[in-house]
Amino acid sequence: MLSRNAQGLYWISRYLERAGHGCRLVQIQYRALQDRTVQELDRTWLRLYRSLGREPLGGRLGSNRDDDDFLFADAYTLTDDLAFEPNNADSIRNCIAAARENARQVRNVIGNEMWTSLNLLYLGMRDLAVQDIWADRAGGFFVNTQDSIRGFFGIADNSMYRDNGWHFLQLGRFVERAQHMTALLDAQLEVFPTDRRHVERDWRSLLQIAFARVAYSRMKSLDFQPGAVIDFLVSDRLLSHSIRYSLEHISGSLDVVSERRPLAVGARRRAGRVAASLDYDWPNRDPGDDAATRATLGSIRDACRRLNEDIEASYFNYDIEDTPR
Amino acid sequence: MPDSPQTGDEPLPEQSLFADYRYDPRFYDEMFEAQAAPREHCRDLWNVLDGMAPEEIAAMQERAERSFLQEGITFAVYGEEGAQERIIPIDVLPRIVDAATWDFIERGLRQRIRALNLFLADIYGRGRILSDGVIPVDMILGCPQYRIEMRGVSVPRGIYVALCGTDLVRTNDGFMVLEDNLRVPSGVSYMLANRGAMRAALNKLFRQYRVRAIEHYGNLLRQTLSELAPRAIADPCIVLLTPGVHNSAYYEHMFLAREMGVELVQGRDLLVHDGFVYMRTISGLRKVDVIYRRVDDDFLDPLAFRPDSQLGVPGLFYAYRLGNVVIANAPGTGVADDKSVYAFVPDIIRYYLSEEPLLANVDTHLCRNPDGLEYTLDNLENLVVKMVGESGGYGMLVGPASTPAQRDAYAKEILKDPANFISQPVLDLSCAPCLTEKGASPRHVDLRPFVLTGRETRLVPGAFCRVALVEGSLVVNSSQGGGGKDLWVLPE
Repeated sequence: MLSRNAQGLYWISRYLERAGHGCRLVQIQYRALQDRTVQELDRTWLRLYRSLGREPLGGRLGSNRDDDDFLFADAYTLTDDLAFEPNNADSIRNCIAAARENARQVRNVIGNEMWTSLNLLYLGMRDLAVQDIWADRAGGFFVNTQDSIRGFFGIADNSMYRDNGWHFLQLGRFVERAQHMTALLDAQLEVFPTDRRHVERDWRSLLQIAFARVAYSRMKSLDFQPGAVIDFLVSDRLLSHSIRYSLEHISGSLDVVSERRPLAVGARRRAGRVAASLDYDWPNRDPGDDAATRATLGSIRDACRRLNEDIEASYFNYDIEDTPR
Repeated sequence: MPDSPQTGDEPLPEQSLFADYRYDPRFYDEMFEAQAAPREHCRDLWNVLDGMAPEEIAAMQERAERSFLQEGITFAVYGEEGAQERIIPIDVLPRIVDAATWDFIERGLRQRIRALNLFLADIYGRGRILSDGVIPVDMILGCPQYRIEMRGVSVPRGIYVALCGTDLVRTNDGFMVLEDNLRVPSGVSYMLANRGAMRAALNKLFRQYRVRAIEHYGNLLRQTLSELAPRAIADPCIVLLTPGVHNSAYYEHMFLAREMGVELVQGRDLLVHDGFVYMRTISGLRKVDVIYRRVDDDFLDPLAFRPDSQLGVPGLFYAYRLGNVVIANAPGTGVADDKSVYAFVPDIIRYYLSEEPLLANVDTHLCRNPDGLEYTLDNLENLVVKMVGESGGYGMLVGPASTPAQRDAYAKEILKDPANFISQPVLDLSCAPCLTEKGASPRHVDLRPFVLTGRETRLVPGAFCRVALVEGSLVVNSSQGGGGKDLWVLPE
């Protein structure tokens, strides 16, 4: 497979995963808008922004007036920033546009159906502005966009030949997911430290972002204990948004694409090492020690970032001198 | 309304698609032989279309356009801001060509491409046609498209032009070749896309007519390219080289790569090592045997041609000269579709094949000759003047549609470098009915069939039929606002 095509597929799914995650964050935040106090909302907005590594427009969050108009004015501006702001490289629209641009580059290796679904998603939001989506409290836009993204992956799942192209699509998706999950958990611990009295809803909404609320209740408990929630989201092997799950898929796909490519052993080894540390070191941690947990999350995130560099250097931009022919 | 199907003798109902259609005897009409009298082979089409409600036809048009946009069948127009992606407007009324007419076109094209390949082999080889004085030496050697680097290069099977898209027009005097397009002709994907849309829209009629298939074009193209492979390789590695997504015909490049099942590469995906061309894959480098390039000569190889090219592959021409890779079309074919050389194609056919040309040329006055220059300047308002190296409708003057000021300015340009210009009479391009706001109206059309040459010459029975969408306009180029329609070739 042509390196540039592999790279295109990898980035299509990274951008779509990023857009989907952004939508999910806003959607869950909108649910909070229905009944939570301004102070509580400020903290969940802060979690959202910290997890994206972004400063809100104007540089700070924090409203000091307890009135609804103010609250919605805030939500309006932040929604615009997250969905459409041209200077926000990770805004939903910019991500979709970038995914589509990558798809345009590799159209000959993706099916027509995949292209059409992505193209329509883009065309549908190309000319939108926040006032167009605000009428229904903007929720519909984020839900529909997530649906379309899931639709795209569903079509890929049902139509793609399971060759290397498919595995690069998987790699992009799970590298991105592992990174934003570590960032989200880190932001959660920063904004809602475990040693303070916790509000159950702040932890339940965290599970909701990761589509884990029902599974958690079923498998763990109806008590949303911070330590148990973090543990579930990090190390559960069956939860599709857990970090452990992402690492497993990264390793699996790397196994396939590195079959004829000894250069890529480094990447495979790195993914395996992080997964092993989650299996063997993580259970022994002190769940009450936020600093240690955050340090571990930081090292996972770092490993994911370097995994991305490994993939770039082994498959897309390798040096010609050390290449098999 | 009567129950029986309508015949040409009855008055058409007011709302009918053809109620306002005016047959104009000055132009050959592709559908009608007289007012409200469809040609024999178009009668069924006419009956069906005329029986459809205007809303039905409008919906059909709308569906076709939407399918183009959804699929991203777009092209870009150079020099236009914000026009990055535009669809080529499709007109949903097909143009029909009967079997005998197509047979004639096909024979004419085969003859022409055979002669042009012999001509290219000759001018890059011994140059007999030049020493015999059939064509002025300076016209060939002075042509910017003549690549001195190609002298003495051995080209597989002597096929310089593996793919061409010849522009044909029809007047009351018959078919004529307007342009040969021997470099990187485009439009074949629109031919196939128009067909896809029309087959769906007029399904019943399509089956009834037993329209000849064109969908195997991708197969034929791949077969043709395989036959040109440098050595007898069972399964040569073929790639399609595109300048990238910003090229106006990117959709087509993508489409053809997919149809053929080959990699779509850009210059940066390829490299030359030890005289061989490789592409960069995720499992290392892979040798490339045949490059179907959609990049102009100038940009192919910065070491051989334009040094500032970012699109090409350094060393590509070296590998080509060594015979380790085949480039199709060969570099330097542009000399044969130069607009002054065009005037000599009938002589070229006679010279190499000892046959009379089947397809006529348009009368062409070369401004490089004093007579031609004088005639051109004296008759500017009645002529179409073109620059010899340009294509795509860029840089031309359509006399009757120009203002005196435009003509004066253009005349000054001609005088600066007469050899750079040719003039031709304004052609009475044939008309075909097109869907407009006022129902069907006649619009000028031409057609571009695509000819493939490998071990043998192959064509699919179809063409990209271009339409001048503006009433009365004779300019059909997509870059100048032209559209396309499906061409139906009927079986014998």
